[in-house]
Amino acid sequence: MPELKLEHKFDPKRKRHYLNDVLTVLHCHHYATLFTQLAIDAKELVEGTHILKETVEDVVFNVLSGYYKRNGITDPQERLALASQMFSTIGMGKMAVVSADVNGGEVDMPHPYVDEGWLKKWGKHKEPVNFIGSGYLCGMFSAVFDKPTRTYKATETQSKVMGAEKSHFKVAI
Amino acid sequence: MAIDRQKVIDQMSKVSVEANEDGLIPAFNVLVNQWPARFWNEFSQRMVGAVDDDLKKDVEDLLINAGHECGYHTGYGIITSKEWDAVVGPMVEKTEDVLHGAFAVFTAWGWADAEIVELIPGEKMVVRAYDYYEADIAEAYPGKKSPRMSAHMINGVAAAFMDLAYGGKYDPAGKTGLYTFRGTQTKGIECGDPYGEFVILKSEHHE
Repeated sequence: MPELKLEHKFDPKRKRHYLNDVLTVLHCHHYATLFTQLAIDAKELVEGTHILKETVEDVVFNVLSGYYKRNGITDPQERLALASQMFSTIGMGKMAVVSADVNGGEVDMPHPYVDEGWLKKWGKHKEPVNFIGSGYLCGMFSAVFDKPTRTYKATETQSKVMGAEKSHFKVAI
Repeated sequence: MAIDRQKVIDQMSKVSVEANEDGLIPAFNVLVNQWPARFWNEFSQRMVGAVDDDLKKDVEDLLINAGHECGYHTGYGIITSKEWDAVVGPMVEKTEDVLHGAFAVFTAWGWADAEIVELIPGEKMVVRAYDYYEADIAEAYPGKKSPRMSAHMINGVAAAFMDLAYGGKYDPAGKTGLYTFRGTQTKGIECGDPYGEFVILKSEHHE
């Protein structure tokens, strides 16, 4: 399997960091979990959790598609492996792809960032909170199988923040 | 010794973060992530854009709070880290040096090219940001000019730094010490100003 190529640059003039030419910024679990909480709390007004999922989906799709194109990666298995490495590199936890094809698949996350951060900040929760992880999977499946965004839906069927040993997601068209 | 801002930026911008075997980045007392800046901007923009005009400020206040809590806990993690001790620590003689040093690290980490331009210890701080990723939100608007100021993270983090400096002992639970100061963004690159400006006051003086 290919190794994810990483090139970090700091622009001393603008004081900005780039990972593979993508502008990145360091943030913490407080920030990510409060964004998630905001998305959940806003449900009476807007579809906050959908907005959160779709925003991540769009960003991940662009980042991964750009990487595959620049590096000539066409094999879906190689693409999945690289997407998984990217997931860990940016601190989102670790994913294990149980199955994946153009129609969808299943993914385990033993240490999902949002759940780990939520548990650290607030403890257990009665519902899944990893909309960011779901969005990542939707963007990843679209990029891997050359489909447009909004092709896939990810459902969290088992959630670490609810007390499960690991989180589990089903991805389907 | 005053804070050598350029030296701090040069040194701290080289601090690399690497995920452990679980794919997590525990550092500076928090779980760090290094996600594309576009994610943070677009979620903020889509959330504010999705609600009616009379609710936009409420959403923005919650985004500021997210930055505030992030700044409080991560800021504490930074100023108690071995990296801080090695680079900034030897330059610190008084509380105000910690604040100036914190903004140099803030800059080195890519949050914003920001510095303190006015400081009344324990009372008021004015911060200017000459470049910041939150201003990139303007690219989505005609003429690349946003109708609303959008540097909510800088606003919140700047107030959090005042909490850490003058709000009493750090409280990991955030029940005391946090929100003793509040910020107001008065200028924004995203709105066409030459820089972003943030006025931080004690909470009881904040409008």
